[in-house]
Amino acid sequence: MSSADPRHSIFPDWLRKSLDGLYLVSGWLAGLFLISIFLIMLALSAGRPLGIDVPAGDDFASWAMAATAFLGLAHTFRSGEMIRVGLLIEGLEGRKRWIMEMIALAIGTVTAVYFAWYGIDMTMTSFRFNDLSQGVIAVPLWIPQLGFSGGLAILAVAFVDEFLHVLFGGAPRYEKPPPATAEEVVERAIQSGA
Amino acid sequence: MGTIELVEIAGVVLAALLGLLAGGVWIGLSLLVCGWIAMLFVPGIPVGAVLATNSWSNGASWSLAALPLFVWMGEILFRTKLSEEMFRGLSPWLGWLPGRLMHVNVLGCGLFGSISGSSAATTAMIAKIALPELKKRGYDEMVSLGSLAGAGTLGILIPPSITMVVYAVAANVSIIQIFLAGFLPSLIVMALYCGYIAVWSLLNPDKTPPAPAKMSFKEKLRESANLIPVALLIILVFATLLLGWATATECAAWGVLGSLAIAAWSGSLTVRSFWESVMGATRLTCMIMLILTGAGFMSIAMGYTGIPNALATWVESFNLSPYALIAVLTVMYIVLGAALDGLSMIVLTTVVVLPMIQQAGFDLIWFGIFLILIVEMAEVSPPVGFNLFVLQTMSGRDSLTVAKASLPFFFLLMATVAIITVFPDIVMVLPRMAFPG
Repeated sequence: MSSADPRHSIFPDWLRKSLDGLYLVSGWLAGLFLISIFLIMLALSAGRPLGIDVPAGDDFASWAMAATAFLGLAHTFRSGEMIRVGLLIEGLEGRKRWIMEMIALAIGTVTAVYFAWYGIDMTMTSFRFNDLSQGVIAVPLWIPQLGFSGGLAILAVAFVDEFLHVLFGGAPRYEKPPPATAEEVVERAIQSGA
Repeated sequence: MGTIELVEIAGVVLAALLGLLAGGVWIGLSLLVCGWIAMLFVPGIPVGAVLATNSWSNGASWSLAALPLFVWMGEILFRTKLSEEMFRGLSPWLGWLPGRLMHVNVLGCGLFGSISGSSAATTAMIAKIALPELKKRGYDEMVSLGSLAGAGTLGILIPPSITMVVYAVAANVSIIQIFLAGFLPSLIVMALYCGYIAVWSLLNPDKTPPAPAKMSFKEKLRESANLIPVALLIILVFATLLLGWATATECAAWGVLGSLAIAAWSGSLTVRSFWESVMGATRLTCMIMLILTGAGFMSIAMGYTGIPNALATWVESFNLSPYALIAVLTVMYIVLGAALDGLSMIVLTTVVVLPMIQQAGFDLIWFGIFLILIVEMAEVSPPVGFNLFVLQTMSGRDSLTVAKASLPFFFLLMATVAIITVFPDIVMVLPRMAFPG
């Protein structure tokens, strides 16, 4: 991941570093939730014949899934692994390319902010009405929903950040440079989920 | 809503979708925007609230949790020496067949496909070892490249398969049923591939190198011991699944555990590689999940407008025979496959195509396998065939050569589509056996 080009950085250094840190740490959290899905599943599966019950294990696995999926969004975006159809846009250069990137970023930013707004709204509603989960353990739903709305909020921040960065002349950081080595080409094909 | 209005809405949404995708807006977000646009035509719906609750309930899903685990399993295995062991274990037994070691490509990909859920990973894993070995022994490069590209696509047809999990979620069908449905069609694909290689070798005897020195039976067995780790992993994943000890998601967890054990045993497991595999799987999961979230919202929105049902009725009014419908869809998907990757293609189209398919009397499990085969064809055809990218890079040949080498295998996949269309029972017999009624 390339760090901001200092000539174009419109943010003070401390803010730049905290933002990049925020995306990375939330990505790591998503990774930890992925590991927790694995551990919960093993415990559920191995526990059954042994007569050990993991209370509300299915609830916890589902919530961990949502946390993995949404907390890692900003990190995925900034790693250039959120896919889009590049066929047309990659053929453009210079000013035209910049205009297209700005349009895409503007639409992306508005969508991400809109989504985050209503995600947070839903979590606050759950908190206000003290909604509880229906499983064996009644957990206030706003707690697992934090991973969802928090992840969306961080993605919205990353989009606003990127929008301003490219607007003021920075190079897009959501686009990976063309692969330099053979290994990279292969690795990227695999990372595309094909 | 009147028909004319529906056509207008459909036109606006389709135009928006094409514009957004072509303009380079991220696929998941494009779908969200299109869903939002479709909702504008339906009065009295709190759009933002529907978006949030729908995305939350789709994301916090028990069955979806299989997805990151299968992805992670692939990430771990890719860092092991499993393919080398597979090549050594398989090759002593194939020397007598016409085409000899080229069958290792097909069988190796088949084996690796049953522990990996990705085509690109399967191709890369087997090609890493088979390409240089076959070249060294003087096998024809075109056929080895083509068979690798073709057989690599078995990664998504043989369960576990990331693509199948995504389809099952998008179409709301059972993951296990669609996994089971993939077995027999993948055997057909392998038989067709091996048959093609054998016939080609008989027709071109001068292009196949002579058999290597004969090994004694004992030596062959000793070489086959290399297959033990793979076999154990396959047994671990499928036995837990088939015997009903574990759900699809839990069996993914066992697969991860087994893969970690193999990685540890072969010495490729370090703290660094472990964490890299976790983060790689996390990013891929997030990428897929954003698309699934967008598709989920768009399908709800489209459902409110009533377009998919109207479209299904409209298509029905043509009285197309089921074969004609499948033929039309095949052409449509091949065209789409030129611009989109397989996963996006599936989630984008399920919204409108599935009601049509159900109306025409097709089973959604069957249609899933049909779609997977189509995605496989897209992966071995230019311009966005991921298997071609992988092989192009690994062989150092240009894209045209690799695409040309893959062409016979593209047609063999198409033949498989025809076979399962005429004999749908090939797909359905296993899922029906496991889930009677």
